[in-house]
Amino acid sequence: MARGLRSAVCLLLVCGAAAAGPLKSGSFHPPRAAPDFSLTGSDGREVKLSSFRGKVVALGFGYTFCPDVCPTTLADLAQVHKKLGGAAKDFQVIYVTVDPERDSAQQLRKYLAVFHPGFIGATGSEKQLADVRRDYGIQIARKPFAPDSPLYVIHHSSFVYLIDRAGRLVAMKPFGEPLDDIADDVLTLLGK
Amino acid sequence: MRVIAACLLAACSAAVFAQAAGKIRVEEPWARRAAAMGGSGAGNGAVYVMLVNESAEADALVAVQSDAAGAAEIHETYRDMGMMMMRPVKQIHLPAGRKVELKPGGYHIMLLGLKQDLKPGAAVKLSLRFEKAGAVSAEATVK
Repeated sequence: MARGLRSAVCLLLVCGAAAAGPLKSGSFHPPRAAPDFSLTGSDGREVKLSSFRGKVVALGFGYTFCPDVCPTTLADLAQVHKKLGGAAKDFQVIYVTVDPERDSAQQLRKYLAVFHPGFIGATGSEKQLADVRRDYGIQIARKPFAPDSPLYVIHHSSFVYLIDRAGRLVAMKPFGEPLDDIADDVLTLLGK
Repeated sequence: MRVIAACLLAACSAAVFAQAAGKIRVEEPWARRAAAMGGSGAGNGAVYVMLVNESAEADALVAVQSDAAGAAEIHETYRDMGMMMMRPVKQIHLPAGRKVELKPGGYHIMLLGLKQDLKPGAAVKLSLRFEKAGAVSAEATVK
């Protein structure tokens, strides 16, 4: 799966918009089942991806220490949520931490609530999270925040994946894509 | 005599300071909404701004201070094969007569260890220190 996905990502990079189809984000052709996972949610309950069938899911990866990229992505997704209006009831943001050491379910809840109270954070053991990252081709690199600093940062891939109502992985959005495009894609996937 | 001299010196340097500070225009600073994580020191934020160097010589943003957080640092986000990386930078170069924008996914001022949540509409006071223009006060609006 991981290899397949990575090839798809490479293809996307090569083909770019030519292969995009009706969506504005890079699309997967053909779409395949989004790798399932079961993690601990920021609401304290299990987050099982496959239990969100019937909704369009935006799946992102990041961590609460992150001041720039992650909040920008989440603020964009909050704007998308707002733009969807009533259709937003069938749209779910799931944000998987790359930093379980600092990000407890409670930390994730506090962090995400700033953007939207309905966003779900997900954490788990190092192994569980590494498995999810492998399945989605997400890379991370842990580095000291500064020389001799006890703090650390985690460089990470910053794609947001779109998963359709049938649980198929249909698109990936690189950081910085216009949020109107994402909103349009989500509306397309919602059949609006 | 010594006191008068000191006062004069202070007055002079303040005047020079104010004049010099006018050479960098700080446009529309804003901060991203952020959680202070209960004041645990684990919550961070980012401030963005357009810096306009109106002088005829190059300058640089070299430091930032804010009471809103434990520390304020100048950082840069950069992309490498789809991975977003972040690193501290010593300064941001401001060529003469040019604008440099600190914006999401690029240069930003990182607020480390927020003392309270940054809620939309609130203001974050900052002091930006430039190599030549000296200190310039600014107030970032939280969005």
